[in-house]
Amino acid sequence: MEEIRTILRENPLYPGRMRELASMPERLYNLGELPDDGIPSVAIVGARLCSSYGRSTAYQFGMALAKCGVQIISGMAAGIDASAQAGALDGGGKSFAVLAGGVDICYPRGNIDLYGRLIRNGGILSEQPPGTKNIGYLFPPRNRIISALSDIVLVVEAKAQSGSLITVDFALSQGKTVFAVPGRVGDLLSDGCNYLIAQGAGIAYSPEAVLHELKIMHDTISFAKSRSRIARFRRSVEKRILSNAAFTEEEKRVFRALSWEDAYTPDQIAAAASVELPTVRAALTHLLREKLIHEPARDSYQKGRPQGLIVPSS
Amino acid sequence: MFSSVLSATLTGLDVSAVHVEADVRYGLPQFTMVGCLNPQVKEAQDRVRSAFKNVGLDLPSKKITVNLSPADLPKSGSRFDLPVALAILSACGEIPEHSLCGVMAVGELSLSGKINRISGVLPIAMKAKEVGVSLLIVPSANEAEARAVSHLPILALSAISEAVDYFRDGVLPQRPPVIPPDPALNCYKEDFSDIHGQLSAKRASVIAVAGFHNLLLVGTPGSGKTMLARRIPTILPSLTPEEALEISRIYSIAGLLDDEHPITGVRPFRHPHHTMSPQALAGGGKIPAPGEVSLAHRGVLFLDELAEFHTQTLEILRQPLEDREIIISRASGTYRFPASFLLLAAMNPCPCGFFYPSQMTRCSCSPKAIRDYRNRISKPLMDRIDLSVLCPPVSFEDLTTPNGNGSSSASIRSQVEAAREIEMHRFAGTSLHFNSEIPASRIAEFCKLEHGAEAALEHAFRSRELSARSYYRVVRVSRTIADLEGSPQIRERHIDEALTYRPLEESFWEGKER
Repeated sequence: MEEIRTILRENPLYPGRMRELASMPERLYNLGELPDDGIPSVAIVGARLCSSYGRSTAYQFGMALAKCGVQIISGMAAGIDASAQAGALDGGGKSFAVLAGGVDICYPRGNIDLYGRLIRNGGILSEQPPGTKNIGYLFPPRNRIISALSDIVLVVEAKAQSGSLITVDFALSQGKTVFAVPGRVGDLLSDGCNYLIAQGAGIAYSPEAVLHELKIMHDTISFAKSRSRIARFRRSVEKRILSNAAFTEEEKRVFRALSWEDAYTPDQIAAAASVELPTVRAALTHLLREKLIHEPARDSYQKGRPQGLIVPSS
Repeated sequence: MFSSVLSATLTGLDVSAVHVEADVRYGLPQFTMVGCLNPQVKEAQDRVRSAFKNVGLDLPSKKITVNLSPADLPKSGSRFDLPVALAILSACGEIPEHSLCGVMAVGELSLSGKINRISGVLPIAMKAKEVGVSLLIVPSANEAEARAVSHLPILALSAISEAVDYFRDGVLPQRPPVIPPDPALNCYKEDFSDIHGQLSAKRASVIAVAGFHNLLLVGTPGSGKTMLARRIPTILPSLTPEEALEISRIYSIAGLLDDEHPITGVRPFRHPHHTMSPQALAGGGKIPAPGEVSLAHRGVLFLDELAEFHTQTLEILRQPLEDREIIISRASGTYRFPASFLLLAAMNPCPCGFFYPSQMTRCSCSPKAIRDYRNRISKPLMDRIDLSVLCPPVSFEDLTTPNGNGSSSASIRSQVEAAREIEMHRFAGTSLHFNSEIPASRIAEFCKLEHGAEAALEHAFRSRELSARSYYRVVRVSRTIADLEGSPQIRERHIDEALTYRPLEESFWEGKER
């Protein structure tokens, strides 16, 4: 286990973004590295109980931004936070988690794999001494450090009056820019985001919008390229499955009825593929075993491998 | 003079023969009853006295002693009125001295001399046959119930005067013959095809019913969980005569049989309210009466809004779900009731009811509220549920598609009966009834796995971290799926389907990806 560093405000290692602000802690505990002052940084925050759409959006934003050299700050909470950080790491970038309790306590427990990866490719920070338990009242103050460490705070999915909006309040008082991913009217999980947009937050309709704000000159062509590469890859996977004799005709119909973007229930698939439900259910388990589809949530199936997969350690 | 007649008492589900002895002799006029009697039994003397008076018989002004032996066995209930009256009539010479030899009698007297309906006649008749009585006298209201036991001479009486006529002059009471209703005759107003959508829940119900596996339906309010559960009786497999007697025996003791249903012809479907007390579920009372778990024996126990039941009440289910019987201990002894039932449970996924994995945007509960809600059902109880299925909100298309509702109850039932036929054939000569009862030690014998099925199971075991208990559960469920298809071997697709009905893991409630 790596050693926990204690960094005082006087220490030149103390993040410059934080030193500029009042109300920042005198000492900071750290595992791994600290965010680099010279590199643009974006905080991605959102709901813990998020939708599978929100999770994959967070993952994609984390990955796209990390690929363009942005460091991702978040709180390592289940849901949006963890997915965004996993995306950043998968994109080959660095990500930093600010915890409410001590840096030696992985909270939530289920994110232990992510915790280990963050220590190796980024860092874990906290203003609380090691061993501090994660008690409710520690979370709002922790959010002020998340916003302080970033240039932009991006909210992916948030209910009205949620913890993510506390982070936004801190960000605004610290003079940071706020972006929100727009959602459908009436979705409880997008109420917070849509409200922020109404109040004048930037609209994060794609990772490019955020990169543009950071004045990062990215190659638009490369984005388009990577998109077409993904599409090509998906087509080739589909072709391989549909021509594979190991799968029955029904299994192929079931696979064709699934989507890469959205998860469907067995009932919906049975209707779309015109296959009997028992066969659909059996086919789904088979496709799952072959790792051609995944089950982002119980009884909902989607093509491809899971994004932002967080495997519970237990 | 002394006289005696046989009767019977119930302790739990057990029947014991009791000798009712009466002695009438000169002395101060007095009526004494002894033999470990509870108040209901002692009240017999007042009922007998008035009944005699009202039919024109007189209790002699002598010392009357009635003893119920064995005297150390506690006796309760009002079914001793008739034997007490008969023993006294014989002891004071109103009816011939030896006429009561080998006769067993049960019945409650009214003050007018009528003989009223009692509970527990069926098990008493079974006991009477076992003891080998020459005649069983029962209230006429219980006649059909007593006649369910074959080769047993029965005399059904509606008044004490008829008993006197019979024993004095051999006059049989004249009554129109009892036509027992056809027990198989049952018509349901509801049908499975009333339910829109919910293919998965319907399929899981068919599997559950065919193999008697426990089923949990989790879904948003209004998705049709309760509607589905109420239609389960329409697809339950028919009873074998042995099962019908087994169930009727319990219902007879609980006093739930009536003129229309002297014998239960259909599997019970019990749906107690969630405010039910632990005693009502397990069976309660000083001498315990069967509780809901026993009344649901060989049938379905439906617990709607599972999370609303008291934790204490739910935990009682653990032992009967494992042992298929419930043992209740009281100061007076230990009582054993059968409790082999299909547990059908329905619940919302969260307090607001709209937590649903792929449509999380509608739920307004905090993660803690959801966790607390889920924790109301203990893990050991969850572990004993074989099939779990989610009921997604019904879409508009489901509601409006004509004929999109799938099979009718009749066609599902024939499917279930076919699977049941295979099961009965498989378990011939064993004490097992359904696939869900196959003990772990006999899994290999009854559940032959195809090679591919074994590989699929091994993969699932390794990657999903199935416990030993859940391993057997998957095999039993896939056995039923194979039976529904008529396949003697369990194939890969049967295992694959069974795996999708696994219990809802912790991560479901945490909204986490697998």
